[in-house]
Amino acid sequence: MKFDGTDLYAALIHELKNNLGLLSMTIESIPQQGETEHDAAVDAARLLCQSVVDRLQQALLIYKAINQPIQPAIDAYSPHDLVRETKDRAMALARGRIHVEAALAQDVPAIWFFDRDLIEMALINAIHNSLANARSTIRLEANMKEGCLALTVRDDSDGYPEDILASVAANTPCQSTGTGLGLQFSRVIAQSHDNQGRQGELRLHNDQGAVFCLLLP
Amino acid sequence: MQGTSNMSLASVQASDAPVDFGALRALVVDDYPGMRNGLRLTLSNFGIIKVQLAANAAEAIFQVKSKPYDLILCDFNLGEGRDGQQLLEELRHSNLISIETVFMMVTAESYYEKVVATAELAPDDYMIKPFSAALLCNRLECILQRKRAFGHVYRHFLAQELEASIAACDELIRGKPKYVVDALRFKGELLVTLGRFEEAEALYQQVIAMRAIPWARLGLARSLHLQKKDEAAEEELRDVLEHVPEMVAAYDLLADVCLSKKDAPAAQAALEKGVTISAKTVRRQQKLGEIAHINGDLDTARTAFSNVLEKGRHSIFVTPADFGNLCRVQLEQGDLKGVADTLKINKSTLQASQEGQLVMAVTQGMAHTRTGNLQGAAKALDEAATLRASGTRGDAHLMLDLAGVCMAGGRHDEADGIVAEVARNAHDSEALLAKARRIYDEAGRADAGASVLASATSGVRKLNNEGVVLAQRGDYKTAVDKLLMACSEAPYNPRIMMNAVWVILKYIDQVGMDEKMIEAARRYLEEAERQAPGHPRIAGLRMNLKEMENRFGIQRKAAG
Repeated sequence: MKFDGTDLYAALIHELKNNLGLLSMTIESIPQQGETEHDAAVDAARLLCQSVVDRLQQALLIYKAINQPIQPAIDAYSPHDLVRETKDRAMALARGRIHVEAALAQDVPAIWFFDRDLIEMALINAIHNSLANARSTIRLEANMKEGCLALTVRDDSDGYPEDILASVAANTPCQSTGTGLGLQFSRVIAQSHDNQGRQGELRLHNDQGAVFCLLLP
Repeated sequence: MQGTSNMSLASVQASDAPVDFGALRALVVDDYPGMRNGLRLTLSNFGIIKVQLAANAAEAIFQVKSKPYDLILCDFNLGEGRDGQQLLEELRHSNLISIETVFMMVTAESYYEKVVATAELAPDDYMIKPFSAALLCNRLECILQRKRAFGHVYRHFLAQELEASIAACDELIRGKPKYVVDALRFKGELLVTLGRFEEAEALYQQVIAMRAIPWARLGLARSLHLQKKDEAAEEELRDVLEHVPEMVAAYDLLADVCLSKKDAPAAQAALEKGVTISAKTVRRQQKLGEIAHINGDLDTARTAFSNVLEKGRHSIFVTPADFGNLCRVQLEQGDLKGVADTLKINKSTLQASQEGQLVMAVTQGMAHTRTGNLQGAAKALDEAATLRASGTRGDAHLMLDLAGVCMAGGRHDEADGIVAEVARNAHDSEALLAKARRIYDEAGRADAGASVLASATSGVRKLNNEGVVLAQRGDYKTAVDKLLMACSEAPYNPRIMMNAVWVILKYIDQVGMDEKMIEAARRYLEEAERQAPGHPRIAGLRMNLKEMENRFGIQRKAAG
């Protein structure tokens, strides 16, 4: 039997994803014992596993986006559900180590049109960054800005380094590893959302911490 | 942190009443044992402990038949055999699960996620692997709250009170902004079912004005096609497919549109594209086979019909007619060995039903006729005659094939009788009547054929037309007589039966309840649906029947 390289990688990645899924299910099922040493180790494993899963999904998506533009599956979703779901995921990842809060502006409509899975992936990516850098708090916000739904992740870290802010603002490729890769990915996702000629945007700035904002038309 | 005074933390919390996960009965379907157990573990994390496991579609169907489930969590990829999407289609089409049952698809690749998300019959939601227990719990909560909000809509829908179901959708559209789009989607399908295509068109335009989401554009194209605005429908579909090439349902509809524009080659091209995206769907392969056969593309027809049998093993959508279809193409290709193999491999399946036995007899008859084995052909015809005498019927193509074998064997009266029966029951099908004429032409009996067809169709057509005209004049009593007579002449003709149901209901509306009549209407409607499943008129008639029963306080007897 002859193996095509692509087939082999596809099969391998499929298997790895399944195994990672099982690993994360297994770690989730380990109960907390109230012993700091034990619980901290399990927590660390869980967080690391979840971050490997998230990174792998991103990497696969970016790999696909090299060959063809990302085609988001846009449908009507509730921004309220999205924020609640993302907040729950962030809290599960933070497990009390970092405080997670969320807020929705009153003018956010009951539904908005976006690709829920892609947007959530981008937000979770920002949350991973913040969990690694924040001092004490991460805040998730949804409000309306320039006619777009703005989804924001803020933290109280030292903020983004200048080179990253510059490259995202200039729409040029970021460094291709770690934080830079994730932000590039988020930018591609934001830009794949367009509506009546208006393209989605990723905006970064520093304001008593790092501020990550997706604008969805 | 910046203070943002106009934000409220409270609104982020779930607003509806909590879900009692402990009470939910769940079925997990995955071909990989490790994953099955993993999913069970994940469900137990948030209190779902009543969990059964199934390794494939067949096991899942068995489990669902033996007891009801509130939640089915199913992997898209189930290894050999049917995939998760096919399982969902079978479960919904054969009403094995209610619209209230939650069906969630688990997909590994974002590509399949799109195939699943844009499928005509979409699951309630899909999860991309791997995912955490918390995420699954959240998604499930959202679905259950949505189903709760749709309680009235579903209840009326299940009672076949479609008007009331639409009214309940309107209430959601007015009062629950979160569910506006979901309610519009459901209402659109109800409008199409009821034949209110113009309203459906307007509704889909309304959704598209919010955002041109693919399902709304597909709905728009369907409403246009059903109003015979095929140019506009085609334009819409081609544009949708440019943006969302993995939307298989759009290829199916495009094929219908091309067929109604009498462009069978374009219909075939559309289905071939659909098949490359999702090859396992039996009904798409069946349709591709039929259209390729019409186009004289025997190789494609053969591949498609073979796929029907191969991919559709144990599928409820595969019937004995599918074996006949493959054999017919193999015969036309002159591949007698292929025919023999098909019959041999599928012998036990075919022998299990009378219709299957008829397929075998007719196919053998055709094969023997071709090789000049007259004795063998005669024996096959005798078998077919015995089966027919006991009430066995095949699909119209098979019956015409049988007539052809009879004619080749000199059994002209038998042939004429069979053709006449087919023609009476399909008096308005150009394709079948043309095939019948061809058989007579090939036998050198063109004149005899013309008269058989004329007398078979004219009686039915005349009774039908008279009945319809009388009904339009308001003389429902005589109209009912005419159409009941037409029904007894053409007991499998869906159009005649639907007309009969229509005039019976008009008649009862005029003179009051007539138990015998309404019983006949029920029977004819059931038969019409068997002959023409999914015909656009059926749902409307069923609703009228239901209203009539309600008006006169009759409880529908259990379907027997």
